[in-house]
Amino acid sequence: MTRWLFRRILTSLALAWIVATIVFMTLHLVPGDPAELLLSTGGAATDPAAVAELREKLGLERPLLDQYLSFHSGLTRGDLGNSLVDDYPVASEIALRLPRTLELILAGTALSVVFGMPAGAYAALHRGGRFDRIASATAAFLLAVPVFVLGTLLVLLLAQTLRLMPAGGYTPIAQNPAQHFTLLALPAIAIAKGLAAIVFRMTRASVLDAISRDFVRTARAKGLSPARVLVRHVLRNALTPVLTVLGLQMGTLLGGTVLVEYVFNWPGLSTPLLRAVEARDYPMVVGIVLTISGLFLLINLIMDILYAALDPRVRAS
Amino acid sequence: MSVSRRTLVQGAAALPFLASPGWAQRSAGIIRYGLSTFPPNLQPWVSTGAAAGTVKLLTHRSLVAFDSKGELRGELATSWSIDEKGAWVFKLRNNAVFHNGDPVTADDVKWSIEQIAGEKSTAYMRQQFQNISAVEIVDPQTIRLVTKEPLATIPTWFANYNTFIISRKSTAAEPIGCGPFRISAQERGTSIELTPFDKFYKPGFPKLKGVRFVVYADDNLRQAALMSGDVDIIEYVPWQSMNAVESDPRLRLDAVEGPFMCVLFNASKPPFNDPRVRRAVAHAVKRDDIVKAAFFGRGKALEGVPITQGTPWYDDALAHGWNYDPARAKALLAEAGFANGIQATMLATAQYGMHKDTAEVVQQYLAAVGIQCELKLPDWPTRVNMGGRGQYDLAIHGLASDSNDPDGLTAYLDTSLSANYVRSFGLQAPRTKAAMDRGRAEFDLAKRVEIYKEMQRAALEEVPMAGLAWRQQGFGMDRSVKGFSNLPGALTTSSGGTLEETWFG
Repeated sequence: MTRWLFRRILTSLALAWIVATIVFMTLHLVPGDPAELLLSTGGAATDPAAVAELREKLGLERPLLDQYLSFHSGLTRGDLGNSLVDDYPVASEIALRLPRTLELILAGTALSVVFGMPAGAYAALHRGGRFDRIASATAAFLLAVPVFVLGTLLVLLLAQTLRLMPAGGYTPIAQNPAQHFTLLALPAIAIAKGLAAIVFRMTRASVLDAISRDFVRTARAKGLSPARVLVRHVLRNALTPVLTVLGLQMGTLLGGTVLVEYVFNWPGLSTPLLRAVEARDYPMVVGIVLTISGLFLLINLIMDILYAALDPRVRAS
Repeated sequence: MSVSRRTLVQGAAALPFLASPGWAQRSAGIIRYGLSTFPPNLQPWVSTGAAAGTVKLLTHRSLVAFDSKGELRGELATSWSIDEKGAWVFKLRNNAVFHNGDPVTADDVKWSIEQIAGEKSTAYMRQQFQNISAVEIVDPQTIRLVTKEPLATIPTWFANYNTFIISRKSTAAEPIGCGPFRISAQERGTSIELTPFDKFYKPGFPKLKGVRFVVYADDNLRQAALMSGDVDIIEYVPWQSMNAVESDPRLRLDAVEGPFMCVLFNASKPPFNDPRVRRAVAHAVKRDDIVKAAFFGRGKALEGVPITQGTPWYDDALAHGWNYDPARAKALLAEAGFANGIQATMLATAQYGMHKDTAEVVQQYLAAVGIQCELKLPDWPTRVNMGGRGQYDLAIHGLASDSNDPDGLTAYLDTSLSANYVRSFGLQAPRTKAAMDRGRAEFDLAKRVEIYKEMQRAALEEVPMAGLAWRQQGFGMDRSVKGFSNLPGALTTSSGGTLEETWFG
């Protein structure tokens, strides 16, 4: 088990390194010069001499391989470099904003699990019933509505018309806990809406699959109570695929909260990533992508460990 | 107690009346300003956009500034004039103090000007300031600028929000300004807070107790934040929301026509190296449709060189020199030998809706006279890159002049300058350029007016670019916000400076 874990961690690190290298290279290859873009913000005419001077200052005139190597040597020291735009340390930006994105994702995931899983299990147990039909239709609807449409509608209704809550933003929890959670609610719902639908569908399908299995019939036949059959035999077996999907989706959300953060002005990690790509702020983009892919790999690792906990066969192999 | 459907409905109906008057409560005298984007950085001389300009105008000061009418007024300078040798002489006030407590001296002014013009400078005004050959300190309150050639527009340069006077003791990381406010807190990408500087040289100013800038990058959310009372004022009211802001009794809209859209040409090769073909393009487009499609009617047709109406340089006939006349466009194309039509690429960007929408309208009208355009809509960084390298035949662009003086159009009309995405590629408009040069060197207003009318006539024929539409730039604000003005024309992006005089009434 330890060796297995060790190997998995090593693979994850190697993958993260490959991702960072690919991002670094492609970013330098796509058109767009950070110095020219910065000096032309807002459509200003740039002076080529000033652009050349700024490129020199930012170290962009060095050969690409040289830049890559110094990025690497920084990485081994745990230094992600500084923004090309305002010299702000990339690591500080990530340290400030990553927890907010994680909070958003966790809140969204928690909501989707709380609603999606029981609803999915109930719908499966009463397949074809009224609840099943309504919940399935709702899930299809939620999956179909784009985040920005739902987000804009929520803002229009709750902030602009009813004025029940602010039109997006962020308040640190230490400053005002009540307002912090009020502001968290809408973006978390927006994230949960698609995920809950997915969790609902996965749970429903795999519970349906599990209840028709032989071991469930055996469990019933030996006289176990329906509740015990459901919890010990049906759900335990049905949850593995749900967990897989949940893990993958959480990973995707790490880089996929862009729209939600944008629509609700949630100052997480997506906004600086987007801004950095637009400004061709290389160190910032690479640093954030590296963090996101590292976390994605970490989530996958945790999921693998969770399978092992849920399914003894995985542990044995 | 059981909850019936009726009590639920009644409860829901009461919701609007429970609503609080804005969530982020206003604390006395602190204005909450909804910014459209976070300033990339706040370096005093580097151009990093209008959002940065808004903040910098409050923390820094220059020799002069624009007042609410767009006229120059003294700031660190109390008066300015040209001496008998043609040099600019600025008299400095004696009560200005930097944020570190040091007095603002002629030495600081000289140092700042020399830094801007320096060899290692990345300043916006670097090129212009290199025309200043000497900065002489006549006495501690007088500074004299000797220029290589006569320069009428130097005072206007000093009103630009990238031309501030900072202390000689400043470092690159910490510029020391002398503006009415100083930065008290900021979170990168999210918000900036300003508090008044108690030793500011104008007694009684600033009137506000503070400014809190909050970034709302999404247009709709920024407008929602204004409507819901989360902020007191927003910039860049989206055009489609201007009606909503105007019709809200609590709010006020202040919009001016400032920036403009235009067509740029790649004249390094046929067919757009022929001024007749360029004029054909200029006559082929019905501008009102752009105003409708891209700006929801919140703009104005631009059928000439972008000279702001109401300024001395404006001439009604010249302003319509490129009127919509498809027959004439076709005739010009035939005359140039392109009666059978032209295939061309048109560069714009999909990143900004107004660029894309404008390009689509222009594409339709050009097709009607026989110019078939293939649209290229990359992201903005790629667009800038392709524009600077001339990788297009036609390009749609949005611009704003540096000031309402025609000299502010130099960057767009002076075709002798190096290749840049803001101007046509490889195009020669020698008569336009010559007139621009003469206008800059002429001190007499009446003569300047004549020179710039001549410039417009030349440009109408040489077509260094073709104007398409003025677009409105609007601020939306709570009616209690007083003293804030949207500056006229091209100066709209400098309006943030009037927060110095803003108060709640």
